[in-house]
Amino acid sequence: MERKNKIRIIALFALVTLLLSLAACAQPATEEPEIEQPSEEQAEPAEPSEEEEEVELRIAVGARFDDLSPLRGGGHSAFWLSMWWASPMYYDSDGQLHPYVFNEWEANDDFTVWTFKIDPKAVFSDGSPITAGDVKATWDLSAVPTTKHQRVGLFFTGVEGYDAVINSEAMQMSGIAAVDDNTIEVTLTAPDPVFYKRMATNLIPPVKASQAVGPDGKEVFEWWRPENGVVVSGPFMPVSMDLDKSEAVFVKNPNFWMGEPKIDKVTLIAVEDAQTAITLFQSGELDAMNEIFTPTLVEEMGEEFVSGPMIPRGHQFWLDGSKEPTNDINVRKALIMSVDPDMVFEAAFPNGPGQSVTQLLVAVEGVDPEYVWYVPDAGAAQDALAASSYENAENLPKLYFVGISQASHELAAQYIAEVWRQTLGIEEVEMKAAFDEYSGPDQDRVQIFRDDAGARFPDPVVYLMGTIHSSSGPAQRKMGGYNNPEVDRLLEEAATKGADDPDRIALAQQAHELFLEDYMFVPYYFQNMPRYAMPWVTNWSKNSDWQVVEPWNVVIEPH
Amino acid sequence: MSSSPQAFNEVLPEGLEGHEPTSLWRDAFDRLKANKLAVFGFIIVVVLLLVAILGPFITPYDFLSQDLSQRNQSSSAAHLLGTDDLGRDVLSRVIYGARTATIVAFSVTAVSLLIGVSLGAIAGYSGGRVDSAIVWIIDLTMSIPILLLAVVINVSLKTPVTYWMDDMYLKTHNPIYRETIWVDFALVFGALALIMWPPYARLIRGQILSIRNENYVLAARALGFSNRRILFRHILPNGLGPVIVLASAGLGQAMILESAFSFLGIGVRPPIPSWGNMISDGLRVWRNYPHLLAAPAVVLGIITVAFSFLGDGLNDALNPKGWR
Amino acid sequence: MGRYLIGRFIKWVPSAVIVLFLVYALAFYGAGDPIKLIFLRAPGDVVWSPEQIEALREEAGLDRPFLIQFGDYFWHLLQGNLGNSIISNRPVIDIISAAAPISIQIGLAATAIMAIIGIPLGVLAGLYQNSWLDNVTVGFALFVWAIPVYVAGPLLLVLLVLVLKIMQVPYGWDGLFSTKAIIPVVVLALAPLALVIRQTRVAVIDVISEDYIRTAYAKGIPQYVVVYRHILRPVLTPVITTLGLIMITMINGAILVETVFGIPGLGYLTVNSIIEVDYPVILAITLIGTFLVMASNLLVDLVYPILDPRAAKAEVEEVG
Repeated sequence: MERKNKIRIIALFALVTLLLSLAACAQPATEEPEIEQPSEEQAEPAEPSEEEEEVELRIAVGARFDDLSPLRGGGHSAFWLSMWWASPMYYDSDGQLHPYVFNEWEANDDFTVWTFKIDPKAVFSDGSPITAGDVKATWDLSAVPTTKHQRVGLFFTGVEGYDAVINSEAMQMSGIAAVDDNTIEVTLTAPDPVFYKRMATNLIPPVKASQAVGPDGKEVFEWWRPENGVVVSGPFMPVSMDLDKSEAVFVKNPNFWMGEPKIDKVTLIAVEDAQTAITLFQSGELDAMNEIFTPTLVEEMGEEFVSGPMIPRGHQFWLDGSKEPTNDINVRKALIMSVDPDMVFEAAFPNGPGQSVTQLLVAVEGVDPEYVWYVPDAGAAQDALAASSYENAENLPKLYFVGISQASHELAAQYIAEVWRQTLGIEEVEMKAAFDEYSGPDQDRVQIFRDDAGARFPDPVVYLMGTIHSSSGPAQRKMGGYNNPEVDRLLEEAATKGADDPDRIALAQQAHELFLEDYMFVPYYFQNMPRYAMPWVTNWSKNSDWQVVEPWNVVIEPH
Repeated sequence: MSSSPQAFNEVLPEGLEGHEPTSLWRDAFDRLKANKLAVFGFIIVVVLLLVAILGPFITPYDFLSQDLSQRNQSSSAAHLLGTDDLGRDVLSRVIYGARTATIVAFSVTAVSLLIGVSLGAIAGYSGGRVDSAIVWIIDLTMSIPILLLAVVINVSLKTPVTYWMDDMYLKTHNPIYRETIWVDFALVFGALALIMWPPYARLIRGQILSIRNENYVLAARALGFSNRRILFRHILPNGLGPVIVLASAGLGQAMILESAFSFLGIGVRPPIPSWGNMISDGLRVWRNYPHLLAAPAVVLGIITVAFSFLGDGLNDALNPKGWR
Repeated sequence: MGRYLIGRFIKWVPSAVIVLFLVYALAFYGAGDPIKLIFLRAPGDVVWSPEQIEALREEAGLDRPFLIQFGDYFWHLLQGNLGNSIISNRPVIDIISAAAPISIQIGLAATAIMAIIGIPLGVLAGLYQNSWLDNVTVGFALFVWAIPVYVAGPLLLVLLVLVLKIMQVPYGWDGLFSTKAIIPVVVLALAPLALVIRQTRVAVIDVISEDYIRTAYAKGIPQYVVVYRHILRPVLTPVITTLGLIMITMINGAILVETVFGIPGLGYLTVNSIIEVDYPVILAITLIGTFLVMASNLLVDLVYPILDPRAAKAEVEEVG
């Protein structure tokens, strides 16, 4: 009898505890939307009228985000920066340059000093003008290492004082000066006739210095959150960011100077699973996404979903020239010549998008369509392997692929591995998703890196400088310290020539052909910039900076 | 109380030992034979083992050879289960995947069962400090995040061993060192098993705690049987039922675990086929080519169920209470 | 009782410290340097210099020897400070207190479903062994057992959203008592549900052949009384242990369900922190894990003696 009572009491106790903990846990989750509500209403005046139905653009980010600072220079959420930040200038999807925050720019005669003028109409979302001080502070801040900007070197390498900042010896670049409120002057260590084109990116958008830069010159923690009163310069301004749920809501920026946005509200949510994303698209709950790779995307979403202009960016399987066996040019030749790039592309993207090409350069001036690098030839590949110091596949160490992070890349890598097995007899191949799976001392065996390379604006010299020059990331890391002095010399000379100088292109072509003769990569494909948006989203295009062009003009048709 | 039977160890009457177990196991086998579902499960498991061993000899095609012009074909006379997105024969890959699945499932389950049952039994039977110590180790082990361990083992254990084998091959040209892929599995999943034993240990400990004061155990003690004898002859067979159910489920679960790891990208990597990476590949395209998901998923399902049938059957058969 | 709980807690502390140390060491020596990985992992035209990375490591204190880093972490932990995420700089306590309640809700709800559905079904199937009820239950259990979570999730999504069109994609998290929570919780409960049903059934079949049950039936005691008094208790012992284990794994690792349904819980946080090698977050999750293990052990130990007087007696003898 006594025991029975005890059981009942404990059972009751357990039940109550369960319910209480459920209720307690449910509390915060239900509270949050209520907090968001008032802040949205505060922004209400910016919207045209209450009667009209709110037009909302629902965007999926391909990974969760808990950092929406515009100064990280990377990450999935950076694909959408043009929604809420104005860039210095911007490219449209045809590669035409347009003024934005800067409306004038000029260089001195030898292209070592560049002057940019800020559009007097350019203001932040609180109506305060964007000043040259803001621009200088933003650029200095993005070069400070603790800001963790992933690509700042693309834009400021060659600016006086950049090295000192990135090496933590200074907090400001001596070569960047605010001449007056509207004028910013950049001094370079060497001539660069296309420096202004580098500035046309959303990865270094001018932010309000007083908000972002702390007294120590470092970035203020979470200054970019609406809770901290952030002012932005883009067509939409954030009203809520739930970093735990990876959700952010933006509304029209009432002070945006380029034209009134045609959409009332933009929401960002994170969708990691491609299948879930497709289901969301098909049930009409999503309008756009930054990237989504599945082999049957075209079948499921239609041709239009992935249509877009070709951009100067290619994906390759880079061969590391410092590792065995790819330090032997004959092995590299064998690996490359056995593979037909058309078939690799066919395996990975049976229905597009993108295209296969057998050169490094694409979508820039100076690509010679007649140039033939090599003709796929099994016999020649076998001969090359026999001529190598390894003589046959039996003597080759295991081959490791990394960067096989998407379904399509995996198909391509598997196709290549199979071709090698059939033509060269290479049996031992292993593939890894991420670059870092062999991090640390173990990485010293990986010979093949799948990665993309290219330029953010169509220029062959910038393209090659960032890809095959000995100072570039792909040359240093993906190709194991690739260094061809003649290639370097040609490129360095080309970089000083004016954008319209025919020598610029000719020198780049020479360097390109020299590089190809070193057989450093298995060609994969050149990509377009797919819309990744539903058909009812119109005026929607993206540039080679991966940003939506003129987001204020984007329209959502009734559907 | 728990220490007193120790004294009788040496004067243990050995006479009956040979007889009793034979009849127990023979009876168990007879009961197993009578259970149709268990026999079905047994047959499937035997077929799986045969397929795993004979894999390379019975596949209709090379599991690696591709034909882009024949990609994503559905079932036909030439390809019984169709072809995948590189034009490879799905049946051959499923057959080869049986090898992967078997190695993974058995290495994980065997290692974790061995550790789990012995530690759990010792803890449950000994009690006292030994028990507390083992329970403490169990809790410690359970607190280590399995995913972290998988990633770390991949980097810090598997990679160096793979490299070492590759070096050895290049030095000696002995083919033993060339097939590194199976070592990878055994290493990664075997090491995982090192932290997957606690459920078995806890279960068997709980069983023993509830059994050890049953009349027949007390009787055995009173008769002066040794601790070991009581443990292995009386307590374990009686407490083993749920453990066998859990272990048979564990075999299926280990296969699902492998597939989940592949789904997360840290399991078996292509081009080696495993049901796991076939399923996660199939998930990407299943709305257009359902057979690419169905083939590996159904096979995995059948095997999982077969292990369950066999486990249930074994439980019924081994449980002496049924005929007592 | 209070003294007992405090005693258990004090016993837990050293094991928690050891686990934290082990996990920190595993992550530190095995998984790599989080700062380097930020740059190594970025695709395409990422640019970095060794000096830049060194400056960042220094800033985060990652250039110090391992023991000093762990000591530092532990010192802060003693003061109740879980530190800041290395990647996002956010306080770990904020990140955890947003994710943990969601996972706990999902885990408890799924466990409740399993107990409420699984135990009665298992008991019925066991009592009426080989009847149609038994066959249907076992068949159902086997069916759900054989489908991996990440297959069931997308299949159900497409079936309910695109084919039957009876709902929108249950994506994200609006609290346990919203319709969005139903499918994830059910999917999560499915496979372990099969385990609970089977285990209960097996245990019931075991018990009903016992002499005292036969005696009870022979005495003419009504079946529900026999079930309630004599069968349920010994049956629940192993089932409760299993349920406790399942609950821990579900709270800790509903990784696949959280990925498919976009639920911002601990599972996602676990995967992400391991991928990013964000030491403070990994350690905080580990801490929660050890605490849950301890708590569930405690619960099982408290419930065991009530359910099974034999074990209680043994325990008493053990102590005495």
